[in-house]
Amino acid sequence: MRLGFFLKEAFGSMRRNWVMAMAAVITVFISTAILGAVLVTRDNLNQGATSLKNRVLIEVFIKDDAPDEQKAALEQKIQQLQEQGVVKSYTYISKEEALKRFEERFGPRIVQNLPINPLPASYEIQVSDANQVDAVAQKFFDEAAVDNDPGTHNGVKYARETVRKMLGTINLIGIGMWVATGIFALAAVLLISTTVRLSIFARRREVEIMRLVGATNWFIRWPFVLEGFITGLIGAVIAAGFVWLCNWALANWLESSDINFLDIRVFSMWWQSGSWPAGLLPTLAILGAVLGALGSMVALRRYLKT
Amino acid sequence: MIVFEDVTKIYDPDVVGLQNFTCHIGKGEFVFLVGASGSGKSTLIKLVLKELVPDSGRILVAGRNLGTLRHSKVPLLRRNIGCVFQDFKLLPNKTVYDNVAYALEVVGEPRRSIRRKVPEILSLVGLNDKTNSYPHEISGGEQQRVSVARAFVNHPPLLLADEPTGNIDPETAVGIMQLLVRINRTGTTVVVATHDRDMVNRMRRRVLQLDQGRLVRDERRGGYDQVTDAEEQEVLT
Repeated sequence: MRLGFFLKEAFGSMRRNWVMAMAAVITVFISTAILGAVLVTRDNLNQGATSLKNRVLIEVFIKDDAPDEQKAALEQKIQQLQEQGVVKSYTYISKEEALKRFEERFGPRIVQNLPINPLPASYEIQVSDANQVDAVAQKFFDEAAVDNDPGTHNGVKYARETVRKMLGTINLIGIGMWVATGIFALAAVLLISTTVRLSIFARRREVEIMRLVGATNWFIRWPFVLEGFITGLIGAVIAAGFVWLCNWALANWLESSDINFLDIRVFSMWWQSGSWPAGLLPTLAILGAVLGALGSMVALRRYLKT
Repeated sequence: MIVFEDVTKIYDPDVVGLQNFTCHIGKGEFVFLVGASGSGKSTLIKLVLKELVPDSGRILVAGRNLGTLRHSKVPLLRRNIGCVFQDFKLLPNKTVYDNVAYALEVVGEPRRSIRRKVPEILSLVGLNDKTNSYPHEISGGEQQRVSVARAFVNHPPLLLADEPTGNIDPETAVGIMQLLVRINRTGTTVVVATHDRDMVNRMRRRVLQLDQGRLVRDERRGGYDQVTDAEEQEVLT
């Protein structure tokens, strides 16, 4: 293979047909930018969902007058669940600790007027899998040390309905984002192949002449494939830069505004170990280059039939 | 060089391209193909290039049977056949030099030998001062000479020309024909399809006349039209 000649051909034809080359670059740019935006959005939603899930706590309140062995049994049960991996972590909040938190929240005046400390001690339990909250909470319903009113389980508190709704929404968004990724990837393929087909249609005479002179199919194909590859690469690199910049600007703006609880993360530009998909630049660049090269090959096919 | 044995090619729906066409063209011959438009001249040339495949019959080019030639070998066949067309078929985005060089790049000629051969052939066709011009910057006659140069730069054993003077004024046409004759003298078989009555009459070469896909005349030193001896006498006197 004469790479030098093919590269010269590819760059030469891009220079001559620069309008078409620009159209192709812009097409790749738009398609991959949309894909990049979907990627970033999905990543942030995942991030948000994970942090929301981690905030799901089960509070188990302890009777003030429970005997020590009952309290010990309760703690043992939690420890057991942690060993099984169901419980991620737990903290013991003593009566004093609870009062302190209460004071921080409502001010010292109310606390000073209290004759005794009315707040029960408790365990704050974080589960490993938010979907398991219900099941874990139920395990503590009938513990002797739990501060239940007779006939109820109100000694164990967790945001049952909220958790259910939240999980439903998060799962739905996750599926939605996958569907969106699929649709936009398909749209990108179609858009790019149409553009390439147009540009090759404009040069079908050239292909015909090449064949008459006795060029093999691959000899004709290589410059076009390289051209598609380069075009795709350029469009995708610009798209990666653009998406990253938007992501960065948005994150900065949100951080300085009132709604910074959203905690938008800036998607990494480069490859990071352990992260998938890899950073924006490698993902989009590979995607764009492959799309461009494949698009050229597919579009050429009909002109290379003997 | 070229052998057609009972070749028939019918286009859809039923337009006759060639019908039961048989002929032999020997090595080193110079042959004119004449006949009205649609008589099958271009079909014949396309069949030799394996751009078309016949419905029946056998075609041999340089001893190779085109019917059994694999698709992947077609480029190799075409490298051994120089082609000149009425519309020149030059690559519009390449200079004169690059157009000729392309035919050499295709066969994998080393760069150094390309740099030697292209100026050589361009001076043979008298275009060494237009090396860096683009096809649209030069005249039709000059474009056709570029096309001849490209066809001959590989020194193929066979050169096909489909109406090579069709788009050129008569004086320039003479120059092109002289080029083809010179190429023929180097031993290359030359087949020229043409409408150019004067040219054929003047050159007195072998003439194959086609009519509606059939071979109606094969004359050793023929003219454009079939003439009876009486008429010929008249013309001569």
